[in-house]
Amino acid sequence: MASITTDVLVIGGGATGAGVAWDAALRGLDVVLSDRLDLSEGTSGRFHGLLHSGGRYAVKDPDAAVECIGENVILRRVASDNIEDTGGFFVTTPFDDPEYAGRFMQGCRDTGVPCEEIDVSVALAEEPRLNPKISRAFRVPDGSLDIWKTVWSMARGARDRGARILPYHETVAIHRSGDEVTGARLRNQRTGEEIDVEAGVTVSATGSWAGKIAEMAGIEGVRVLPGKGIMIAMNHRLVNTVINRCQMPTDGDIIVPIRTVSVIGTTDVHVEDPDDRTIAQDQVDAMLEDGERLVPGFKRARALRVWSGVRPLFEDAKADNVATRDVTRAHALLDHSQRDGVGRFVTITGGKVTTFRLMAEDTVDAVVRLLGRGGPCRTRTQAMPGSESGRYYHVGERLERKEEHLLDDQLVCECELIPRKRLEHGFKQRDTRNLDDIRRYLRLGMGPCQGGFCIYRATGILHQLDGMTAEDADNTLREFLEERWQGVWPVLYGDQLRQMRLHEWIFQGVLDVERAGR
Amino acid sequence: MRYDVVVIGAGVAGLAAGARLAEKGARVCVVAKGVGSTHLAPGTIDVLGYDGDGRVESPSSALPAFVSRHPQHPYALVGADSVGPALEWFAGCVESGPKAGYRYVGSLERNTLLPTAVGAARPSALVPTTMAGGDLTDAAPICVAGFRVLRDFHPALCAANLARAGHEARSLELEIDTGRVEENALGMARHFDDSGFRGRFAALVSSQLKAGERLGLPAVLGVRDPQGVLTDLEQRLGRPVFEIPTLPPSAPGLRVYDVLKAALRAAGGRLVIGAEVAGSTRDGARVTSVSARASGRDHVYEARWVVLATGGVASGAIELDSDWLARENALGLPLSGAPTEGSARFDPDYFAEQPLNRMGVTVDSSLIAEGTENVLVAGASLPGAISWREGSGEGISLSTGYAAAKTVLEREGATAAA
Repeated sequence: MASITTDVLVIGGGATGAGVAWDAALRGLDVVLSDRLDLSEGTSGRFHGLLHSGGRYAVKDPDAAVECIGENVILRRVASDNIEDTGGFFVTTPFDDPEYAGRFMQGCRDTGVPCEEIDVSVALAEEPRLNPKISRAFRVPDGSLDIWKTVWSMARGARDRGARILPYHETVAIHRSGDEVTGARLRNQRTGEEIDVEAGVTVSATGSWAGKIAEMAGIEGVRVLPGKGIMIAMNHRLVNTVINRCQMPTDGDIIVPIRTVSVIGTTDVHVEDPDDRTIAQDQVDAMLEDGERLVPGFKRARALRVWSGVRPLFEDAKADNVATRDVTRAHALLDHSQRDGVGRFVTITGGKVTTFRLMAEDTVDAVVRLLGRGGPCRTRTQAMPGSESGRYYHVGERLERKEEHLLDDQLVCECELIPRKRLEHGFKQRDTRNLDDIRRYLRLGMGPCQGGFCIYRATGILHQLDGMTAEDADNTLREFLEERWQGVWPVLYGDQLRQMRLHEWIFQGVLDVERAGR
Repeated sequence: MRYDVVVIGAGVAGLAAGARLAEKGARVCVVAKGVGSTHLAPGTIDVLGYDGDGRVESPSSALPAFVSRHPQHPYALVGADSVGPALEWFAGCVESGPKAGYRYVGSLERNTLLPTAVGAARPSALVPTTMAGGDLTDAAPICVAGFRVLRDFHPALCAANLARAGHEARSLELEIDTGRVEENALGMARHFDDSGFRGRFAALVSSQLKAGERLGLPAVLGVRDPQGVLTDLEQRLGRPVFEIPTLPPSAPGLRVYDVLKAALRAAGGRLVIGAEVAGSTRDGARVTSVSARASGRDHVYEARWVVLATGGVASGAIELDSDWLARENALGLPLSGAPTEGSARFDPDYFAEQPLNRMGVTVDSSLIAEGTENVLVAGASLPGAISWREGSGEGISLSTGYAAAKTVLEREGATAAA
């Protein structure tokens, strides 16, 4: 069996794990980053895309608000290419307690979240689809964050500094020697090969799965409460500013414009199994009604897809059956030598996407203490790869780039404007033969046609790459179609239903991909 | 404007009903929002390719049992015997149509298996002469050639899947200059209508072909004169050449549209495209006129009979809204197979049968829409079928369009006699 040695093994390739890898690599440490699936396939890749200003927590959780605005400012500096500076509004709708606005303003003042009340007419002029019956409006520095781009930008940055990035490597055992963790055994999910990683420190950045990894290390009582939330992506930018309802946080009260869509979120339901991704129809229907309150006509707009993610809420001596939104959103860093007498093992869980960098910083500070070496944190000032210019992403960016090559490169995906060369390069850069990995990497097939045209093209292109058999190509195509459908059918009505009929017609009728090669 | 029959919808069903009625002397107007699904379809005439999971060898043998097991299916309404005459009529339209020498071959007795663009074997009852050479029961080796410039066809994947399924197949990707960086199938088909382009293509490909190989190309062998294009290529290359349908827009589908449109017009029927029917007037159970918006104003078409052939969900004829209410948009006719409150609307398995798929306008056994006495329904507007899974789309459209025409003619005849 192959074995490798490293300073830090990071289990879990979400925003936090990738952040730990990036932070540790910048401090001169050798890193292995592993995930049982693709990077950001779990909770990180399943959120609404909101870069919090902190306004949402200003009343309810002032500490979280302070963390959010601090990280918001830092990320705008170091991850600008992954951020769209949409700005955000908090608006008092007829459905909200008008008293809350005053507490909200006070909360923002207390926590340092920049907040300015604007005239309702100004808000409506900027966002004409907004409910015209809003009574107050406040401007805050919310934004939207492309988490896949962020995670891969950090992973690439770490790799450029020597880190080994191992997606699709499941942790099958945590190695212990006496009262220390010495590393882990990983299994390559694609080849079945196993590899032993001997690590100076092992970090579990596995979010809602942290309890399971801790148990593998023989540690009991790391309890993470998975809180499931659903989100719905609408086909258009119904708004261009993040819209929050000015009330105590509840279900369906945020709309985030991100890339070419707008996402409404979210719900919060305690689940036992963090891999539970079922979508309840009544929650979908309720979410559409919630959208209607913020943007009249929302229900008649075209819904693209729905998905769910599980927040890792670290349980802090509270009962099981509390509503999960009331459990702390703060992150938990567990140095198991102090907590359980098990050395060289750290768990980071809880928290939220906006504060992933801070979580990574705290974690690597602990790693440096345990290793006894490594420099100071640099992620506050060091731009991630791609963000060196300090320019924000803007929604017309891909079109601009495509227009330069209108006459010399084919377009594979019209919805997301992906040229053929970019796709071929993406397959190589990611070293993957999986269409869903490429979806997360380039957003292939995420537009209104949900892969209706581009996925056949991409499969044909992929099949021509080295070492790809027709069988593998057929399988990844079928898996992609099946995976897309999971997020489509619970919100399938109107024009999207019509679109999916064309989709079925193409894949099941014209091409018959189900019977290809049989 | 007064007609004997107004047909709403210009897909295979609407054009077939309209052309057939016009042939028999009725004053017919076909009114449509746009062209139908012909432009998306492979251009084959599929009658029954699959019965459940099993592939159908002979539609004529399988149909009687199929209709007895599916009494709500359109084939059950029109009768298994009615498919043959409708197909014969269509084949006649093609032969006497505007594309010289272009024909449909095959029969209801035996499905022809043709390769799809991913190399799956697809069963069709009738296939155009430009595709017939792709018959997969023929053992001759296949070379599948594609064009780098055509994004919508990938010959290597097609050939590799044919090989996996036991056929002798290989592929070529050709670099041919069309003056553009990307083309769709229709764009390529227009190039193939040009003899100079065909000469360049033949010069490029001929040296790369092996003796005894037949040549499979994406379905781009011309729009104007497909038989001329086929004959020319077969002569230049000295071997059978055939088309493989791929992503829309479909050149063979466009030819089907051209043929049926020509049949309608030759018989004196009128075709109005770009006019969406959005209103109607009634006298009791009779629809006496429909109105369609075109060029910014409403046009009223009075008629004794209306044939609704607007398609199903895919065409926008039937809509499901976010409150999960379904409606038929042109005439507001009642639907069958729409989801009921609380029942599953979709199956989480993409490849499973979806509960909504059989939704359509409720009709009696004569295809007359519920609540009316002079509206006939044809094609994908009918409930009870899942054409793309059954491989039955054109068979249903032709046989129900043809049957709707027959019903009108019979009843008008009865009225005249009385």
